[in-house]
Amino acid sequence: MSAKSGFEAIPVGLDMGTVEMTLDEDTVNDRLELVQWEARELVDKLHLAPPGIGIVQHAVMKFIKLPDMKASIWARSEHEFLKPMKIGSKIFIRGKIVDKYVKRGRKYLVTDFETVDEAGEVLLRSRETSVYVE
Amino acid sequence: MERVARTIRVGEEIPSLTKTAFMPIDPEARNVIHTDDYTRRFGGRGALIGGSTLLSYVLEMLYNYFDQSWLYHGKISVSFIGGGAINGDVLTAHGLVTSVEPEEAGTRLNLDIWMENQTGAKIVVGDASCIQ
Repeated sequence: MSAKSGFEAIPVGLDMGTVEMTLDEDTVNDRLELVQWEARELVDKLHLAPPGIGIVQHAVMKFIKLPDMKASIWARSEHEFLKPMKIGSKIFIRGKIVDKYVKRGRKYLVTDFETVDEAGEVLLRSRETSVYVE
Repeated sequence: MERVARTIRVGEEIPSLTKTAFMPIDPEARNVIHTDDYTRRFGGRGALIGGSTLLSYVLEMLYNYFDQSWLYHGKISVSFIGGGAINGDVLTAHGLVTSVEPEEAGTRLNLDIWMENQTGAKIVVGDASCIQ
């Protein structure tokens, strides 16, 4: 049994697993309401979800995979949008820890996420650096 | 695209977007920074609005300007600074064009972006780019 725990025990390269998300109307409308999205034609005419709809799942994935983590505070957040997300479709978000370091006494995790559609096409690439609090 | 009415120049701002921050507060939130108890224990003003919500405010400003092009060509990199935001803060997202680069698919606009609260304090800073 390893003596390491919490941040120390997190291996760089840790697979964060895959989360499936169905972009049904309720899910999209909940998001629109939460973020007060006013550009309705995106949804009503184009039947597309607002950009970034799946990003909130990134933190959820970290909390599932890292049970010792008490708080996660975004320090930096990078995203590349490659294709729109269609209402009614399923998306799959997979993640991986690509780095960790300590700076000025704070513990940082760097995680890459990729969101793909049902055909496996990449819709969004993200890299997030967050402060890890135990 | 359709809503880009005119060519914007380096040094000009795209239209800003203002929202009154709001997020339902769950005292049992898994991420304790979204609870009043935890943040106030450390001198904070209250439960922090989620970073993905703040990011969405900035994304809406960028979508409003770049229209659907943002969904295919948008890139954003932001840092969260200062004390974050709590419910009721009035937040304004800004974007200032810093350079223009020709690309095969069109012209890419590079912007400095930031979000400030009602006191003028910046809480999000970074850059973004998209093909116009």
